[in-house]
Amino acid sequence: MSRFFERYEAETAQFFDEVISKEGAPRPHYDKMLHRFGQFSIDDIKARREIVNIFFRNQGITFTVYGEDEGVERLFPFDLIPRVLPAHEWQSIEKGLIQRITALNAFLNDIYHDQKILKDKVIPAELILGSQHFRREFVGINPPLGIYIHVTGSDIIRDGQGHYMVLEDNLRTPSGVSYMLQNRQAMKRAFPVLFDKYKIRPIENYPQELLRTLQEIGPGSRREPNVVVLTPGIYNSAYFEHSFLARQMGVELTEGKDLVVNNNKVYTRTTRGLELVDVIYRRVDDAFLDPLVFRPDSKLGVAGLVNAYRKGNVTLANAIGCGVADDKVIYSFVPKIIKYYLGEDPILQNVPTWLASNPADLKYILANLGSLVVKAANESGGYGMLIGPESTIEQQENFAEMIVANPRNYIAQPTISLSRHPSFFNDTELLGCHIDLRPYVLYGKTITIVPGGLTRVALKRGSLVVNSSQGGGSKDTWVVDE
Amino acid sequence: MLSRVAESLFWMSRYFERAENTARFLDVNFNLLLDLNKITHIENPSYWVALILVTSDKERFNSIYDEYTARTVTDYLVFNKNNPNSITSCIGLARENARSIIESISSEMWEQINNLYHYLQSVTPQFVHNDPYGFYKEIKNASHLFQGITDNTFSHNEGWDFIQIAKYLERTDNIARLIDVKYHMLLSEAQSQPELVEGSEDIIQWMAVLKSCSALEAFRKVYLSKIDPDNILRFLILDRTFPRSINFSVCAAEDALWRISGSSRHRYVNNADRLIGKLEAELSYTAIEDIFAKGLHNYLEDLEQRLVKVGEQVHLTYFAYHTPEIESSDIEEALPFTGIAGGRANWSQAQQHQQQQ
Repeated sequence: MSRFFERYEAETAQFFDEVISKEGAPRPHYDKMLHRFGQFSIDDIKARREIVNIFFRNQGITFTVYGEDEGVERLFPFDLIPRVLPAHEWQSIEKGLIQRITALNAFLNDIYHDQKILKDKVIPAELILGSQHFRREFVGINPPLGIYIHVTGSDIIRDGQGHYMVLEDNLRTPSGVSYMLQNRQAMKRAFPVLFDKYKIRPIENYPQELLRTLQEIGPGSRREPNVVVLTPGIYNSAYFEHSFLARQMGVELTEGKDLVVNNNKVYTRTTRGLELVDVIYRRVDDAFLDPLVFRPDSKLGVAGLVNAYRKGNVTLANAIGCGVADDKVIYSFVPKIIKYYLGEDPILQNVPTWLASNPADLKYILANLGSLVVKAANESGGYGMLIGPESTIEQQENFAEMIVANPRNYIAQPTISLSRHPSFFNDTELLGCHIDLRPYVLYGKTITIVPGGLTRVALKRGSLVVNSSQGGGSKDTWVVDE
Repeated sequence: MLSRVAESLFWMSRYFERAENTARFLDVNFNLLLDLNKITHIENPSYWVALILVTSDKERFNSIYDEYTARTVTDYLVFNKNNPNSITSCIGLARENARSIIESISSEMWEQINNLYHYLQSVTPQFVHNDPYGFYKEIKNASHLFQGITDNTFSHNEGWDFIQIAKYLERTDNIARLIDVKYHMLLSEAQSQPELVEGSEDIIQWMAVLKSCSALEAFRKVYLSKIDPDNILRFLILDRTFPRSINFSVCAAEDALWRISGSSRHRYVNNADRLIGKLEAELSYTAIEDIFAKGLHNYLEDLEQRLVKVGEQVHLTYFAYHTPEIESSDIEEALPFTGIAGGRANWSQAQQHQQQQ
């Protein structure tokens, strides 16, 4: 084993380690990688780190940390050791995701039409109709091909036994796919020999697949639908990704002020006049899309856009109102949703979830605050969370009050120790860091998932939080054929 | 091309050129005062007030400073963030525009704007005071470098043409103002010391103007050493080959406008083309005597106003796109323009947007 891995402490008694098995031996799909890294000295690693940093800097893959006066641009943290997923494991993740996304789309289609699932009392109607993301004004609207969730990015974790589980379904505007693509480019530059040793499934076609999906959902009969990306603008933290995807697809990157609605049709303002738009890949939240319908103070949206959408003259990806299905309360019903629409058992498991709105569950939650993770149903990005084992009595009491006051808004889950993956700590030693996986699912005429996804890693000693807003980084993710 | 992208390219270029020209204004003044230090003090306020008169509005200056000195005027024109035309403000605005279309410009262009921006953040008034020549040279070189990078890394298509239009409209306007600086100073001296106007100091002043346009050597190649005001004005206004002359700049702006619209010499398709074509034709058939007959100051002021009209029409035609179905107002009447008297501070991106609303 290599000098880096000799000193690596996997702590397999406590955690599921992606590289080292319980018996202390490397898992077979990591053999060649360990061998290759064994040939590297610390200087080799530093040299490769430099190649990667220069690549990211030249590509402009930085995010801005705003201080007092001037913004400071930092590189997005990236770990040099790739994550390897054997093909057979990926195959079941892929199957599970296709099943899950198909069912969730059927669920949205039902909720916005006949609401059979509510009439059959599989899900309590008040949970849906009372959700702040349920858009009753879109009941009866038919998006092309009946698809609501064109681009999704479910968060998948592995528990202490190594079982893959879905932690969250991100059905609105999941970000990070540009990092997935850039990570692969960076790895190719820094470790070309390693690529030669594995049969790694390519992911570079993601922008083409995204464009194909967006063209397939065009509203009319135009053979080449005009697709644009809609961004909130340069001050959005994901602006790099919006501009990157537009460039890769070869379509226009637009802001709200570039679009104009006339006679219920959407146009871009160009130097040659107005050009009809068929499909908008929008990275703007529902609430900001159209000041005439949603928030009147929004400067990010386009006045009249929602009417154009209701008339079927333009397709929005994703559709308006998808948030109702990625609510953390609805999440707990996904196994039932899969059973209801597909008659199948879920391939990918949920994390066990207690609903505070259910009296029996509420009792359990309040009695076990010290060992559970409590989450607000509508927050994301690691906000509004209580991590029981790390909390003080005072924090627990605060949360207990909030939960009792508004039970619909809270769920609780057991504290899961995410699987760990050796990652470089200061380029000199390896540390087991917690990881998750976000594969990107495209839903057009068919469902396409580029193999792998973005592996996020908590690059802080002991930290469980992988969100980039909380100091997380990422690593390249390889699906390899044996 | 999206109107917003075209507009940002236009203003990125225009603000950059404006910063360069402000550096040239200040540079000419320092040159002048150094050359004239036998007869006047470097802090002679009449030399400095002239700069404020032609580059920006006097009221804003007076609300910030009490007197016209090398230090206050330099501070106002180089550093002041409340002056939208200060070099720092202009580069900041150019960078903001570039940032919003970062996927459309080349990364080298962005890098150059960004470098200059950060350089300006690090410069102190004391530094400029100690080495004005070095500082202004830095600004001018940064601008030249940006133009060279743009020419060599950015496709010469519609977007490039918008960059050219902006650059040459701004430059024409600024050459006219630079000549006006000289005019103002002549005027104020004629009032206080009438005997000086016709003397050799006059020639020294005109030479400083030429130097500030990087035009002294080019001028000598044409007129040898016959440095008299007629020849100098003929060169700066009417020469068709020197890139910092008015005629050259108008021709270049016209070429770019016509490439975008497909207009040709005998057929125009929009008002921007028509106005620039008219201006170019007049310049081609104007002799320096015609300009004197009209009065130099009046001629320049008229020219500046016509440039503003061209800018307005570029905005209406390409950036503030109106369709007849949406707004039926006649294009020519769509935006009444509200005067130029105070100098170029009246013409900025923010103002155009305000007018649009």
